[in-house]
Amino acid sequence: MSHYHSYNEVPGVFPYHPPSEPGPETDPHHPEQPCDDPNTEKTRVVGKTKNNTLETVKEMGTTQVPEIKSNIHCLTIVGQIEGHLVLPPQNKTTKYEHMIPQLVALEQSPEVEGIVVVLNTVGGDVEAGLAIAEMIASLSKPTVSVVLGGGHSIGVPIAVATDYSFIAETASMTIHPIRLNGLVIGVPQTYEYLDKMQDRVVRFVTAHSQVSQEKFRELMFRTGELARDIGTVLIGHEAVECGLINEVGGVQHAMVKLKNLIEEWKDRNGVPLQ
Amino acid sequence: MILYTPMQLELVLAGLEQMKHYPERKTTVNGVPALVRNVGDREELVQLLSTDPQDYLRSDIYPGVTVMPVR
Repeated sequence: MSHYHSYNEVPGVFPYHPPSEPGPETDPHHPEQPCDDPNTEKTRVVGKTKNNTLETVKEMGTTQVPEIKSNIHCLTIVGQIEGHLVLPPQNKTTKYEHMIPQLVALEQSPEVEGIVVVLNTVGGDVEAGLAIAEMIASLSKPTVSVVLGGGHSIGVPIAVATDYSFIAETASMTIHPIRLNGLVIGVPQTYEYLDKMQDRVVRFVTAHSQVSQEKFRELMFRTGELARDIGTVLIGHEAVECGLINEVGGVQHAMVKLKNLIEEWKDRNGVPLQ
Repeated sequence: MILYTPMQLELVLAGLEQMKHYPERKTTVNGVPALVRNVGDREELVQLLSTDPQDYLRSDIYPGVTVMPVR
């Protein structure tokens, strides 16, 4: 009889708990009101976290780290930046349709104060890459980027879109024209069209970094550096010397810089967020 | 669409023709509207369809995660 009784209560539906962690007002060690009804207490235990953790270990090979609310968020841009065409599964991809609402959420959330963008990308779709770069550039919150392994082709505008950019000592950035390695699907493949697309990239990069248009185009069309193509590979400090990236550094430098930028941003806005 | 990458295109696009198209359907996953596809023995989240940006920061739903079919 009691079996049927508890069955009617639909485990997991009542009472509803959003999967966020408790706010500052709830102390996990001293729950403010002990539950009187043992049945209600029971249904609350029927959750999904345990199963979820197991599944994460099984599917992704990762475990859940105990959650600590951070005031910064980290966006990782890896592999190919996928555009309007779904790439074959051997590619690691960054999905822009998921990333763009994430950036909106980060801009909107009052608890997020800064964003660090970690890049290890081989480029990808021009439109999608520029969309992400424009989104990052238009955020009001402080942003810092770190190029770790590589930030090639369309990764370059994303790297320079942040307020301040770092490149690891050994990281590389390939700057090359679109038309030689570019692939055009379903659009008139004219020289002028590709030239226009390339201009968008050049304009964005030169507007968001210290590199001049002449210098960037010179790097783009340099011969003798790449075996199969024209263009340049910039490694670590070379990217800083030509003005593309602000500084050579890693995660530590990025965190210190972001913290300083957040302080400045708070002072500027005058309203402490927390 | 223009791919702007130093990687060889033969490598990036290998297997494009053989790519399988799994049947997709709209549903809700943990209360969030989403597009899921059936990949044989399980269902996988393809894309979130929610208009609430906060849903995109959730750690339990993102493209590629396995979602159990709601029966």
